[in-house]
Amino acid sequence: MKTIVFISIVLISGALAGLVHGTVNFTIVEPYLDQAIGLENESLFASGEAEDTLEFWAEYESYRIWQKSGQVLAGVILGLAMGSLFGIVFALSRNSLPGKNDVSKSIILSGLMWLTLYLIPFLKYPANPPTVGDGETVVLRMILYVSFIIISGVGVVVFYKISKKLQNNKKYVAVVGYAGLMMIAFAVMPDNPDEITAPMNLVNEFRFVSVLGVSSFWVTVGIVLGLFWKKFDKTSKLEYS
Amino acid sequence: MSEVRQINKSKSAVPKIAILALAIVFAAGLFVVGFDQGHIFSLVYGEQAFVDLTIHELTHDMRHAAGFPCH
Ligand SMILES: [Zn+2]
Repeated sequence: MKTIVFISIVLISGALAGLVHGTVNFTIVEPYLDQAIGLENESLFASGEAEDTLEFWAEYESYRIWQKSGQVLAGVILGLAMGSLFGIVFALSRNSLPGKNDVSKSIILSGLMWLTLYLIPFLKYPANPPTVGDGETVVLRMILYVSFIIISGVGVVVFYKISKKLQNNKKYVAVVGYAGLMMIAFAVMPDNPDEITAPMNLVNEFRFVSVLGVSSFWVTVGIVLGLFWKKFDKTSKLEYS
Repeated sequence: MSEVRQINKSKSAVPKIAILALAIVFAAGLFVVGFDQGHIFSLVYGEQAFVDLTIHELTHDMRHAAGFPCH
């Protein structure tokens, strides 16, 4: 495969999966965001920080429309970013991934990255709707979240390499080692410092649809890149163009 | 035997330039959606505030929905 073809299929599959992610969010996550922001507005009125006037609502509507339409565009941008990471990892690991062909290999890798880079970190630091977070702690929360993802991602790679060095190729050692590492990280890393002030059922439903949205990205990117790879990879190796 | 190994090695060779290009897309895209704090830049750049805030608001809903820390 030529370099330019490789880069193109990675970016296209990332953008497509991001488009799916953005569209899914636009449909199923936005109603919860509206509810959460509605609660936020009520508390602004209650505290006197804003007044329940026509001007307030006119301004609110104009930026909410902008924010909502951003879902899809931001989905594509995020899709390009995560799709690029996925493409890099797939190209580097394709030969050692299980699976009969490029499509099943790609789907297996996307499932693995969904689990280690998204779902496991989500269990420790779940998504929150607006109104929950404290603006003062956003930097701390980012550092915690990113550190946890890096621990998880690097952990997988390190334990995989260790398992390859062991005799008899004991793959379960990697799984046990990774599970142990993540349990320690779960116990040691501090929790999200913010108190949840929004109704818990709103937060839980928001989290559920948020997981569906992100999962739609990983499913799509795995299938699409796998199909592209199968179609364009005639020589079964990458060549300099 | 050594010939087989040679072939396997060339199979896994991925052009570094492609990795670099995709890594840049990854870092830039993730920053825009997940971590850019328009607020902070708007304090520094004044006139630029509208543009920065625009970007922040545009990616805001996805930031919440994708699980990134926000407000
Ligand atoms: Zn927010």
